[in-house]
Parts: sequence; C-alpha cells; structure tokens
Amino acid sequence: MDALRVLPSKLKALTRLRSEIFQTAYNPRNLRTGAKYLRANLRGPAMMQQYPELGIVNEYEEQRVQDVEDKKRRGKGTPKKTKSKADSRRLAKKR
Amino acid sequence: MRNTRVMRDVKARQGVTQNEIARRAYLYVARNTTLPPQVRHQAQLQLNTFGKYTRPNTVKNRCSETGRGRGIISEFALCRYQFRLKALHGELNGVHKACCTSPCNRGLYIY
Repeated sequence: MDALRVLPSKLKALTRLRSEIFQTAYNPRNLRTGAKYLRANLRGPAMMQQYPELGIVNEYEEQRVQDVEDKKRRGKGTPKKTKSKADSRRLAKKR
Repeated sequence: MRNTRVMRDVKARQGVTQNEIARRAYLYVARNTTLPPQVRHQAQLQLNTFGKYTRPNTVKNRCSETGRGRGIISEFALCRYQFRLKALHGELNGVHKACCTSPCNRGLYIY
C-alpha cells in the first residue's frame, strides 16, 4: 500500500501543472474569484430573438422621424439657420 | 401584439443586451473574494446604479403572436393556443398532431 500513497505536495504540484497545461485558473482552496461571471455565455443576443418582427426597432423614434418627414413635406419643418443677425431679422419680418 | 407589456419586455431585452458586458465586469469584481473589500464594495455600488431593465431577470418570455405571458412554449416563442393554431395550420416545421396509430401517442403533438 505504501507504494501507492501519494504525497500531498506531489498532488498539489500535479494540480498546478494540470491547470498550467489546460490554461485554467489554479485555485486549490476553491475561493470565489467571480470567474463564472466572465466564463458564462452572453445572454443578450439570444434574448433579442424572441420577437423577430419587433427586434431592435425603436418604435417611438421611428414614429417621431416619420412625423418630422411628414411635416417637412407640408412645409412645416424647422426654419433654416441664418448666417447673420440681419438675415434673422429679415426672416422674422416675413412671417 | 404590441401591447405595453411586450414593449416593456423589448425594452428590458435591449437594456440587458446593451449593458451586459459592463455589468459582467462589475459582477466579476464585486463577487471576487480575493480582492480587497473596498474595491468590491465600490463595484457593488456601481452595479446598483444600473437601471431596472438591465437585469436579465426582468426579461420575461411572452408570446410573440399575442403577447400572452403564461403558457409559453419557449422553443417556438408562442403561447399554447397560438402554438396549437399554427401547428394545425402546418406553419411549424416538424410539428404535427399525434394520434393512436402514431408510434408516439403520449402527447398532443410530437416535434
């Protein structure tokens, strides 16, 4: 039986060597290192597939942009920026 | 299907996707017992500043057809009734009605 007994120090060295070879973290005391938060797959991309037709469209923004376009077409868009003060006065009079 | 609850869920899904990497980084620091407590506490405080809809557990699977929140068959993202309707119309690949003569007659459908 004595021949089969392995010294703890040897076992420790073996574990260290194993983690070196397989590029895993050497953590003999099983401390909580938070590695699982880095190791876990990202869940976001899969989450975005629940509603295919809604997907990543921002409805409110789309509606707003559409409304602005409609207003521009009816000549109700925002006024153009003026280059000088005199221009702005002239434009104000016209209205 | 675009009811408020679905829109809220979409918002949550977008929030989670956009903030996932940053949250993971803070989680790593906050849960790492080998780091000094002060650093971990700071990371936890940063985690608390993220909004409600950046946490993955605010996301709920809803029916992609009706927005129903219960009885969802997640592989198809449909509630049980919409699943039945679509299956009977043959719109779901590999799903058909089970019957006594079929080799698999345990459930209503096999897929």
